[in-house]
Amino acid sequence: MLLVPCPNCGPRNSTDLRYGGESHARPDPNTASPAEWRAYLYLRDNPAGWLRENWYCASGCRRWFSIERNTATNEFRDPPLPGDKRGGAA
Amino acid sequence: MTMSRQGVQPTEVIDRAAKLRFRWNGKRFSGFEGDTIASALAASGEQIFSRSMKYHRPRGILTADYWDPNLMVQVGDDPNVRAGHRLLESGMDVRSQNAWPSLNRDIKAANSLFGRFLTAGFYYKTFMRPQWLWPTYERVLATFAPGGKIDLDTPHAYHDKRYTHPDVVVAGAGPAGIEAALAASGEGASVLLVSHEHAVGGHLRYSSDAADQAALAELRAALDASDVEVLTDSTVTGRYEDNWLGIVQRNHPIAVERLIKARAKTLVAAPGLIERPYVFEGNDRPGVITSGAARRLANLWGVKPGERAVVFSANADGDAAAADLERVGTEIAAVIDGRTGGRISSTSGSSRAVDAVVADGASIDADLLVVAAGWTAPTSLLNMAGDRPVYDPAAARFFPSDPPSNVLATGGLAGDADLDGLRQHGAATGRLAAARAAAVRHRLQSRTARALPVDGDEPAWAPDERVPLGRDPHPELYRADTHGMVDMSEDISSKDLVAAAHEGYDSVELAKRYTTATMGPSQGKLETVNTVAAIAEARGETISQVGTTVWRPPYAPLTLGALAGRMFEPVRVSPIHPWHEANNVSIIQAGQWLRPDHYGDPAAEVRNVRENVGLIDVTPLGKLDLRGPDVPKLLSLLYVNKWMKLGVGRVRYGMMCAEDGVVLDDGVTGRLGEDHYMMSTTSSGAGGVWEWVENWLQTERPDWQVHVTPVTTAYASINVAGPKSRELMSRVCEGVDLDAEAFPYMTVREATVAGVAGCFMWRIGFTGELSFELHVPAGHGLHVWEALMDSGSDLGVGPFGLEAQRIMRLEKGHFIVGQDTDGLTLGPSTGLGSLIKLDKDDFAGKPELAWAADRSLPMVVAIQPDDPDVVPEEAAQIVRGDTNEILGRITSSRYSPTLNRSICLGQVEPDLAAGGTKVTVLLESGERIGATVIDHHAHFDPAGERLRG
Amino acid sequence: MAGLAGRLRKRPPKYSAAALAWKGLRGQSWPRVWRDCDLQRSYDAVVIGGGVHGLATAYYLARNHGMTNVAVLDKAYLGSGGSGRNTAIVRSNYLTPEGVAFYDRSVHLYEQMAVELNINVMFSQRGHLTLAHSDSSLRTMHWRAEVNKLGGVNSSVIGPDEIKKECPSLDTSDHPRYPIQGALYHPPGGVVRHDAVVWGYARAADHMGVEMHQKTEVTDILCEGGDGPDGKGAGGRVTGVRTNRGDISTPIVINCTAGWASLISTMAGVRLPITTHPLQAAVTEPVKMFLPTVVVSGSLHVYVSQTDRGELVFGASVDPYANYSVRGSLEFTEGLAGHVLELMPGVSRMRILRQWSGLCDMTPDYSPVMGFTPVDGFLVDVGWGTYGFKAAPVSGEQMAEAAATGRTPKLIEAFALSRFDNGELVGEKGAASVGH
Repeated sequence: MLLVPCPNCGPRNSTDLRYGGESHARPDPNTASPAEWRAYLYLRDNPAGWLRENWYCASGCRRWFSIERNTATNEFRDPPLPGDKRGGAA
Repeated sequence: MTMSRQGVQPTEVIDRAAKLRFRWNGKRFSGFEGDTIASALAASGEQIFSRSMKYHRPRGILTADYWDPNLMVQVGDDPNVRAGHRLLESGMDVRSQNAWPSLNRDIKAANSLFGRFLTAGFYYKTFMRPQWLWPTYERVLATFAPGGKIDLDTPHAYHDKRYTHPDVVVAGAGPAGIEAALAASGEGASVLLVSHEHAVGGHLRYSSDAADQAALAELRAALDASDVEVLTDSTVTGRYEDNWLGIVQRNHPIAVERLIKARAKTLVAAPGLIERPYVFEGNDRPGVITSGAARRLANLWGVKPGERAVVFSANADGDAAAADLERVGTEIAAVIDGRTGGRISSTSGSSRAVDAVVADGASIDADLLVVAAGWTAPTSLLNMAGDRPVYDPAAARFFPSDPPSNVLATGGLAGDADLDGLRQHGAATGRLAAARAAAVRHRLQSRTARALPVDGDEPAWAPDERVPLGRDPHPELYRADTHGMVDMSEDISSKDLVAAAHEGYDSVELAKRYTTATMGPSQGKLETVNTVAAIAEARGETISQVGTTVWRPPYAPLTLGALAGRMFEPVRVSPIHPWHEANNVSIIQAGQWLRPDHYGDPAAEVRNVRENVGLIDVTPLGKLDLRGPDVPKLLSLLYVNKWMKLGVGRVRYGMMCAEDGVVLDDGVTGRLGEDHYMMSTTSSGAGGVWEWVENWLQTERPDWQVHVTPVTTAYASINVAGPKSRELMSRVCEGVDLDAEAFPYMTVREATVAGVAGCFMWRIGFTGELSFELHVPAGHGLHVWEALMDSGSDLGVGPFGLEAQRIMRLEKGHFIVGQDTDGLTLGPSTGLGSLIKLDKDDFAGKPELAWAADRSLPMVVAIQPDDPDVVPEEAAQIVRGDTNEILGRITSSRYSPTLNRSICLGQVEPDLAAGGTKVTVLLESGERIGATVIDHHAHFDPAGERLRG
Repeated sequence: MAGLAGRLRKRPPKYSAAALAWKGLRGQSWPRVWRDCDLQRSYDAVVIGGGVHGLATAYYLARNHGMTNVAVLDKAYLGSGGSGRNTAIVRSNYLTPEGVAFYDRSVHLYEQMAVELNINVMFSQRGHLTLAHSDSSLRTMHWRAEVNKLGGVNSSVIGPDEIKKECPSLDTSDHPRYPIQGALYHPPGGVVRHDAVVWGYARAADHMGVEMHQKTEVTDILCEGGDGPDGKGAGGRVTGVRTNRGDISTPIVINCTAGWASLISTMAGVRLPITTHPLQAAVTEPVKMFLPTVVVSGSLHVYVSQTDRGELVFGASVDPYANYSVRGSLEFTEGLAGHVLELMPGVSRMRILRQWSGLCDMTPDYSPVMGFTPVDGFLVDVGWGTYGFKAAPVSGEQMAEAAATGRTPKLIEAFALSRFDNGELVGEKGAASVGH
C-alpha cells in the first residue's frame, strides 16, 4: 500500500485518495485547435520515471494537490504543491 | 522405513498425557497434544501420505514442516492442509488427497510406466487432432488435477483483520530474530515478532545440544519479560510498498485465520534457511528425508524415523541428525560425507527399504536415507522489497544484495556464524532497525502540515555499522550423477528440465513455464535453486549466470477467507425507509442505496399520480449546498447553459458535459439566497459531481469564492406530485403562498412543512405533473412523510416508487444520463442542444460542443411501436430493414398506463431522428417490428400544461 | 545474401502422439523450438515485442504475405510481458459492432490454432458468464447480447436459474449484498494456455524463417524527415532501430509492446493516448474441478476460472494509479477475495498461492490503437488495456496485412490512432471497465 504524502493530512494510504492522472495545462478553450484540445483530452507523456500528477485526498482533507512521483519506483519527490492544473479531463 | 514413537525426549513438544483421537482415511488413529498431523501419523507407522501429481508415486515425509510438498491432506472441508505443520486436534477427519481408490493401491500409478512419454510439456505436443475430441481429453486431464476438494456449502466462517503500526516487525523467530526483537524493544521501539512455527526458537527448538537448549530458554525468558508482541503460527506473507506488511495469523482463538496489516517503520527479515533436497534417482521415495525432518521427528515429537539409516551429510546439521538418530535408536548404517566427496547416487529396494547406492556403486541396506545437502535462502521478503539476490558459489546459496534501507536481513539469510555470532548480529540489526524506525516515525509525524509539533530535528538515518556475518563454505550439491525429482509437487525431474532447456526453454522463466517446476504449492521454497542448477547444467553455465526467479507474494499461502475478512458492505437507506418497509414495498438496489421500486402495482401508482397525488422518496438525489459570491460563475463554468442572471427564488435545469463534450450529469439548481444556491445531481452522480466541482474550483479557479458542502443525506427529499398536490401542500405548509402565480413552476421557497422549519420546496418534477419537491432536514423526514400521508388521505394520496417514476418520466420523455445516454453521447445528441450556449466565454467541454454543432450525431428520440401492445426490450436494436445493420437502439421502454400504449426513448442515427420517421426494431425474440419516431420527446402532455399547473 | 542460409532449414519434426511415443521409446530429444540467430544488420520489417501480438504479427507476415526477412525483438524472453501474465480468457461478446466483428475473428483463429500451429494451445471453450448485479448492468448485458447476435456471435442473457445450471458453485440466491440478477452467457468463450500460444507462434514463425531475438532491447528508433528532433515525428519515416546489440536498418517497425508502448513510440516522436497501469492477478492452490465456466462480474471487479490443473485464476481491474512497477499489492488480493466470496461463499478455505501483475496500456475508450502513425513505416499495435491476449491472432493477422500492403484493413479501421484527432472514439467503455 503506497503512502501518498498529502500536504494537509500527511502520509496516507493510497486507497484514501483518488488518482487524478498527469498534470497538464488546459488550453484556452476559445483558441485551441482540435489537435491541441484533443492532445489535452487524450494524449499523455506516460513516462517511466518522474511524473507530475494530481491526487485528491478523498477520505481526508478533500483537497486536490499536485506532486511528483517516479512511476517506476513509486518514490514521491517533496514537496507536494496545492492543486495546480486539472487532472483527468474526461 | 518404520517410524515409531520412542521414549520421552528432553526437547519434545508433545504432552504425552493428552491423547488425541482422529481419523486418517476413515481409520482410527491417535496422537498427542503438540503433534502435527504428520508426526502423529508417522509415530503410528504411516509411511505414505500422498500420491504424486503426475505419476502417482507414493510419497512420504520429506521435510516434516510447513513446506513439505508430500504432506498435503484434506481435513474436513479444509483442502490442502499442511500436515507437516497443522497441529493435531481431537476428532480431526484427515484424508489423503491425490489417490484413488486408496493411498496404497493407486490405479493411476500406472502412469509411472508411461513416464518416458509423459515428459515435461508432453500435452503441448499431442491431443491436437481430432479437434472435436479435445473437450474429452481435457476432462480426462482435469481428473489429474491435484489437491483437495472444496465443499461448496462451507460457510464463510468468522475471519478477522487487524491493523497495526509497529516501529519494527521481525519476520522470523530464530535466535537472530529474537535478539533483533529484544534489542529493538530495548531501544524503545514497539516490536512485533512473527514466528512461522508454533513456538519461537527457530532451529534451536529441535537441537539436542545442551548449550542450544540453554540459549533457547534464555531467549524465551527474555521475550516473556520484554514488551515485544509475539505472534506464533503466523507468517509475514508479503512486503508491499512503504513496508506495508501482510501477516497471517493461523492460531487466533476465535477467527479461522486473521489477516494483520502492519505498516512497519522498519522490517527485519530473519526467516532462517530452508533445507534443500538433493536430486538423485529415487530421491522422492518414502524414507528419503532431510536432516531437518529427521531432527524434528526425533527431538520435537519423539519419533524414531527409521530402523537403519544412511546419512548423507554435507554440513553440521547432517552430522547432528546422525547423532540424534542414534540417540532415538536408529542404527546408522553409514554416514556419507558430502564435504569430502562422498555422494549418493540413487536408491533402490522394495517398499519398506531405501537402499542407498553411493557414487562407487556400492549399495547399503537401509530403510531411511537422511540427506543434508545444503540450504536455500528464502529471500522472498527482500525480493518483494525490490532486492535481487546474488549467488555465492563458495557458500552454495543466494544472499541479499541491496535491499532498501528500511528492510534489514539477519540470521541465516544474511550469513553464517556460531550461535553467539548469530545472536550478536540479530541484536545489532534490532538496534539499527529501532534507530531507523525512530527517524521514520519523526518524518511521518512532522510531514503532516497540521500535526502537533514534533520535538527536535529528524534523527539522522542510522548508518549500518553491523559486523557482517561470515559465509561458511559449503559444497555445491544440486544433482548427483543420476536424475531425480526436482519438484515433488509437480513431478518434475531434472531430466525434464534438461530436456526443456535443450528444446530452447533455456531461461529459468521459460523453463519454469514450460515444465511448471516451482509452480506448485511450495512455490519454489524447496525446488527453485535445484531448478536453476539443472538449467545451468544444461546450458553449461553457472547458477549466477542463469539467475533465479522472482519470488512473488504471498510467502505462505493464505485463505480467501482471511483476505476477505468480515466483508463489510455498507447499505444506505433514507430516513423514510421504515415507512416503506411497513407498507409492502418492493426494494430495488441503486448502488449502495435501497430504494422503493414499487408498493405492489406501479401502474396504479402512475394513475394515482396523474389523477390524485402521490409521494416519492427521492432522498438519494445528490444535493450540493453552494455558497459564495462566485457561485454563478461556477455554475456557468460547469453547466452548458447560462446562470449569471438567475434570480433569488428561481430554479433552472442544467446539463453538465465533460471536457470531451460527453454528457456527464444533469439536474436543477436553485438560488436560495443572495449568495446561496442548492445544486441537485442525479442519484448515481452525486459523489462524482461533487469531486468534479471541487476539482474545477481547486485547480482551475482557486481564486473564486465558493464553498461546497454535500448535503445529500442532510435532507430527506420527497416529491409530492399530482393534480391534488397543491391542495395537499396547503394543508401542511406554512409561510408560503402556494398559488401558481406566487410560487410558479421552476421556483424555490423556504418553508415550514408539518411544523418543520428550514425545508426547501421546489416547484419542479420529473413526472410531468404539478409537483413540489421537498427537502426536509433529514431527522424530520419520516415525520413529514407521515404528515403528508395523514393529511392527504381524503385526496387519495399514496406512495409511488421508482418504477412509477420511470414510467412517468418516460411518458414525459425525460432522458436519464447513463441509460438514454452512454459514454460517447455528446451534449447536442440529447435533443437539448439549444441549452448549450457557445457564446459563453468558457465552460467545460466548450470546444468539443462547438465542433459538435457542425457534426451529424446520433440523437436521443422518442419512439412509439406501431403495435401499441408490444414493448421492445431496453437494448432492442434498431436495424435497417431486414439486414443486420445497426442504426440505433431502444434505451428506455415501458407500457404507459396513461396512454395505454408502449412508449420508448432510443438513440438513432441522425438521418432517422426527424419526427415521423419509420424505423425497424429487432426484438430479443428475433421478431422485427415497425415503430415511429415522434416529433418531440414527450409522449404525454408535450406542452407541459399539467406541470405548470 | 547475409543470413539467408540461416533462414533455410530442415523441416522440423511435427508434434503428435506418435512422435511422442517414438521419441519416448528411442529416448530421443526434440529439436529447439526456435533457433538462436545472429542479429542481422538489415531486415524487411522489425517487430518490437516478443509477446503474442508481436509473434502473431511476424507469423502472419511470413505466412500470408511471404515476408520472412523479419526480426522479432524482445528485451527479455519471449512471452515475458503481458502474454504470460494474463488470465488467458478468450471471448467475443463485445458491445460495439466493430469490437464484435474483430474479436469474433480472433475466436475463430483460436479455434483453428492448435491444428494450424501444430501445438496444443488447449483452447477450452467452456462458456463465459458475465454476471449482472444491478438493473443497469443487466441492461448493458441485453445490449451486448443484441449486438452480438447481429454480429453472428453466440451470446444471450440468462437468469439466475440457468446460471445455477451452468455454474452450480455460484450463489444465485438473494442473500448476497448484490444478488446476481442475470448474466450474459457466451458459450464459445473460454480459456487458452497462454504460453503455448507464444511458443506456437514463435515456433511456426521460426519454421518460415522469421528470427526471434531475445534479450535484445530497442534503445532508439531511427527516423528521418520528421518535424521533431533527429528527424523523428510527424511527416518523417523510419530507417531503422538501435538495440543493445547494434543498429538494424529496416523500413518497417511495428510496435507490439504492452507496458512500454508509450516509451517505444516516443522514440519515433509519436505521442499516444495511453496511461500504463498494472493489472494484478492471483492463483490459488489446486483443488478438484468445481468451476465449469469462466465467471466475470463487472460490478464486483473480478473474473475467475479454474485451470485444468485445478487452480483458480483471478484477475480484477487495473490498479488505480499509473505505474510501471509490477509488484503486487495486498489490497488487491483483499478486494478480490471479498468479491469471490460474494459470488462463491464455499471457497473461503482455498488459499492464494501467488499473485503477480502485468502492465496494461489503458486508452480513453477501452479500445486498442492499431495501424499507421504520422511517421511513415512506424506502425503501432498498442493500447491493449486488459484485453490484449484474446485479440492476439486477429491483431497479428491484421497488422501483418497493414504492414505488408500499406493499407489499413477494414477490421481495424475503427482502431486507428487518428480517431483521437477526430474525436471519434470507440464505444466500448461502458462494457469493458472489467472486460474479461
